[in-house]
Amino acid sequence: MSGIAKEGTLRSVADFMRSYLLVVLIAALVIGTAIFEPRFLSGMNLINLMRQFGPLIMVALGMTFVIMGGFIDLSVAGIINLVAVVTISLIQIVGQVPALILGLAIGAACGALNSAVILSSGALTQAEALFMTFGMSTVYSALALLYSHGSTMHFWDINKSKSLFQAIGAGKVGPVSISFLIFLALLALLWLFQTKTTEGRAIRLTGGNKIAAELVGIRIRRSIVVIYTLCGLMAGVGAIVLFSRITTAAPVIGAGFETNAILAVVVGGTTLKGGNGSVLRTVMGVLLIILMSNCLNLLGVSPYLQVVAKGAILVFAIWLDNRKQ
Amino acid sequence: MSASSDSELIISIRDVSKTFPGVRALDKVSIDVRKGSVHGIVGENGAGKSTLMKILSGVYQKDSGTIVFDGEQIEGTTPQQSMKRGLAIIYQELNLVSTMSVGENIFLGRFKEMKGMRGSHAKARELLDSIDCKVDTHKLVSQLSVSLKQMVEIAKALSFKSKLIIMDEPSSSLTAEEMAELTKIIRQLREQGISIIYISHKLDEIFEFCDTVTVMRDGHAIDTRPTLEFTRNDMITKMVGRAIENEYPPRPAKVGGTLMEVRSITTRKLKDVSFTLREGEILGFVGLVGAGRTEIVRAVFGADKARGHSVFIGGKRVPIRNPRDAKRAGFGLIPEDRKLQGLILPFSVETNISMASMDNFSRFGFIRRSLEKGIGERQVKALSVKTPSVRVPVGNLSGGNQQKCIVGRWLEIAPKIFIMDEPTKGIDVGAKYEIYLLMKRIAEDGGAIILISSELPEVLNMSNRVLTIFEGRITGEFDPAVTAVDRIMASALGMKEVPA
Amino acid sequence: MVLTLRSNPLVGILTKQKALPFILVMLVGMLFSKTRFYTPYNLLDMLNSSSILLILAFGVTLTIVAGGCDLSIGGILVVSGILSIKLQPVMGMWPAILCAIVFGLLIGFVNGFLVVHQKTEPFIITLGMGLLLTGVAQQLTDAHPLPSQISDFMMISNGTFYGLPNLVIITLVLFLLSAWLMRYTQFGRNLYAIGGDYEVARYSGINVIRTKWLAFVLSGGTAAFAGFLLSSKLNTGSAIYGDLTALVVNCGVVVGGTSFAGGIGGIPQSALGLLAFGMLDNVMNMLDITSYIQILLKGAVIVAIIWLDSFAQKRKREAI
Repeated sequence: MSGIAKEGTLRSVADFMRSYLLVVLIAALVIGTAIFEPRFLSGMNLINLMRQFGPLIMVALGMTFVIMGGFIDLSVAGIINLVAVVTISLIQIVGQVPALILGLAIGAACGALNSAVILSSGALTQAEALFMTFGMSTVYSALALLYSHGSTMHFWDINKSKSLFQAIGAGKVGPVSISFLIFLALLALLWLFQTKTTEGRAIRLTGGNKIAAELVGIRIRRSIVVIYTLCGLMAGVGAIVLFSRITTAAPVIGAGFETNAILAVVVGGTTLKGGNGSVLRTVMGVLLIILMSNCLNLLGVSPYLQVVAKGAILVFAIWLDNRKQ
Repeated sequence: MSASSDSELIISIRDVSKTFPGVRALDKVSIDVRKGSVHGIVGENGAGKSTLMKILSGVYQKDSGTIVFDGEQIEGTTPQQSMKRGLAIIYQELNLVSTMSVGENIFLGRFKEMKGMRGSHAKARELLDSIDCKVDTHKLVSQLSVSLKQMVEIAKALSFKSKLIIMDEPSSSLTAEEMAELTKIIRQLREQGISIIYISHKLDEIFEFCDTVTVMRDGHAIDTRPTLEFTRNDMITKMVGRAIENEYPPRPAKVGGTLMEVRSITTRKLKDVSFTLREGEILGFVGLVGAGRTEIVRAVFGADKARGHSVFIGGKRVPIRNPRDAKRAGFGLIPEDRKLQGLILPFSVETNISMASMDNFSRFGFIRRSLEKGIGERQVKALSVKTPSVRVPVGNLSGGNQQKCIVGRWLEIAPKIFIMDEPTKGIDVGAKYEIYLLMKRIAEDGGAIILISSELPEVLNMSNRVLTIFEGRITGEFDPAVTAVDRIMASALGMKEVPA
Repeated sequence: MVLTLRSNPLVGILTKQKALPFILVMLVGMLFSKTRFYTPYNLLDMLNSSSILLILAFGVTLTIVAGGCDLSIGGILVVSGILSIKLQPVMGMWPAILCAIVFGLLIGFVNGFLVVHQKTEPFIITLGMGLLLTGVAQQLTDAHPLPSQISDFMMISNGTFYGLPNLVIITLVLFLLSAWLMRYTQFGRNLYAIGGDYEVARYSGINVIRTKWLAFVLSGGTAAFAGFLLSSKLNTGSAIYGDLTALVVNCGVVVGGTSFAGGIGGIPQSALGLLAFGMLDNVMNMLDITSYIQILLKGAVIVAIIWLDSFAQKRKREAI
């Protein structure tokens, strides 16, 4: 009996190592940097870290649900482009609160449109969703370019009140930035949604096994609409946080967010096969990626090699994920 | 056993055994096939025929025993080596690439040997002509009828200069004319000195052209004799006959009035299927694999689209467009394929059990964990599921315990009509009995069960009433308690004259 | 609804061969426009500017026919293009080109290992590989265009031969070569068998892993070849061309009628599919459509095509 128990512990340690191999590797990198590069633990650097958390984590949280539901969404880059340029221009036209609401609504609508395209075609695989959302991303980006005539819009061009966005971008409550508080609030909400609601459960079941879920009466079509709409909405939030921080919105502002978000979700340990995953894991994934690039920056690694590192980690993470099954 | 010397035998199977987890599929099977003969193998579903054939072709490896093919002992072979050796199998699920042409399929993987496309097509033409098949070799296989596909398979077998061709239930989807054609070809092949092992359910065919017959049952070769020494009844008795009294609990006793009526389901595979189900009843569906049993229940449950079908419960028409509607109307389903359709293997036992009854433990769209936690524990206890905890992934459990989780999932919402498609597939004997007791309890609590099983004794012993299904239609209705097994069997095999 | 759609022959043609009607519509439509579309110069220019995508598609077709896909070709394209210029001062022009192609083959080998040998889903993992290679390309060039110092290099793509652009001739030769490979060799036919039914192919004694693996290697090699031609055409190596190329080429192949389901399609179909994209570009330029609308239309076309591909499978699946 104790032999079995021991074997069980050994196995769970092995399981743990396998599940968190990436975490361990990146943690080693962080600890190494902290030792050899004292600047890493300086106050400025840590505040800088917190600021980087903003837009990517929003997008990655939305992406978590899409991947947990067994699909994928490449359109977030396009949605960010569109929401950013439209929202910033709307501040001038309708005022800041309606602009914020409309911006989020556009994000959600784009996501809902994605799900409509996917559902109407009867696509069931991740591959089909990948190509369709890529095409949709191109469409949204083109709309952003058309809307903005390809030009970058700046805060200083707006002569109406934009205090709300300035607060999102740079405001602080005590030492904590407002965008970080927004993140915490959204994380809490999404975590509740994921773990406490029937819809959150339905998404997990759909991602785990669509056929089995449908045969016990889960509305898998509704789940697909929900995950894409949510992902679009969160991309909209990400867009707003992003342009509020940098105080400008270019129609190409979202480029690369889709791969970074997928990377964060997968590195966090949400499986690409759908089903198991969590927004908390994604937070960890984003944290790891930000820490990694921060470390690599401090160590003087070129930003291009950092892209290489991200690509390599993505490939490695998918390979690991596949080995686990 | 036949007394023929070894040189007269094309294949000699000696004491071959094979065990799968929980199931002894073959138990010391010995069969000899003489050169140039047609050797029939008959037996129910699950008798071990297909396993035996897969061992011969090299898809599975045997656990013990010897196989001598054409004077040469065979060990650790692969399908491809068997082919080259001259042993070809024509499977039930045909082994052709449907997106490629007839000619290319015959010489799949041998493009170079055949000197390219033109050579392949020319040689294919020759082979097809030799069996009087006129099909164009450039046609795509996906455009062919099942019988033509079989001809292509036969031509493929001939292309390897096969000495032995095994046909695994070739007739299951052939029309009478197509069957006549196949019969002709089988005779022709025999005249060319090619031996044939012919696996079938259909006794007519066996008696028409088999020289020798082996009856298999429960992984044993029960009897091998020249066909002429068998009578039809004899053979059926040997196929099904056994003392099985203690394997099953008594049938549910109280059967009430009509609970559900299904009117005229029609799909691509089903033709105007109508039936009724009574309260407290276990209704068995008997038929060959692929006869349309699963298709019927899937259509009733709303999992497949069907034309013009209507379900009446308690005399009222209930619209069922999807499984969700079915669940609301009081149905529960144990699907045919536990792993693909039933469970989410990496998820916990608890989640798998609670997934059908989310409405019971949620309010305003929120899950109440305290209520859900009870569900897993309750069903695990009630059904005595053997699991270290409700948190372990359901994929870690044995087949029987996995199946109990699916049963428990539905018991939680107490469906009135329980559809069970192969509920005991791949489950060991002890767990089977527990599932039977569960079924009885469900029926006695006022529910009704539709039971589909490929194990004939199981359906016959559990059901109050059985419907026989053949080629997408219901061919008969019997009370298994008072009807001779062979009559039911005959009806399920689509035989017009039912033996007395 | 389903029945009426099925009986409509137009839908049948559209779901099988989406490129041909698309091309025909454009050809007929352009008859009524007052542009220089129907001039030999323009038509040749159209071929010339589609050539890189066409060459990429020939390689990708191998992987898709075998039931895979290759989204890393964009990355291979730019890295090998840069390598073929960057290595010139070190080892001379031809060895540099050779190295670039060997690099592509190597990446293809790694892709094949991950997808075929390790059985991972090809889509996202090759996408990740593309991301990785884009980083490599940026690192190699510091994200600046890298011009070639050897004037002969530029002539490979930009020269003409009896009045025909070299690039068109090379594309034509590669077209014939790859079409022959797919149609008339054991390797090509085995790819179709593997994509059509992996298990049947395996049982028929085809070395499924090696064959499919080789498809990825060749796809990497072709992408590298296209990369060096692109660098020669522009006389510079740059990291920016890889962004959308991979997805556009894979979609183009599907437009032609090669399905992600595997086993059907072929080189001529893919050529048609990519030509349709090339022609769309050309027509939009001729009609003076602004570049943003062009991007919009391209995105919409991609969605429409994949939608049709999925919808055709759905109809097959749900036929009553």
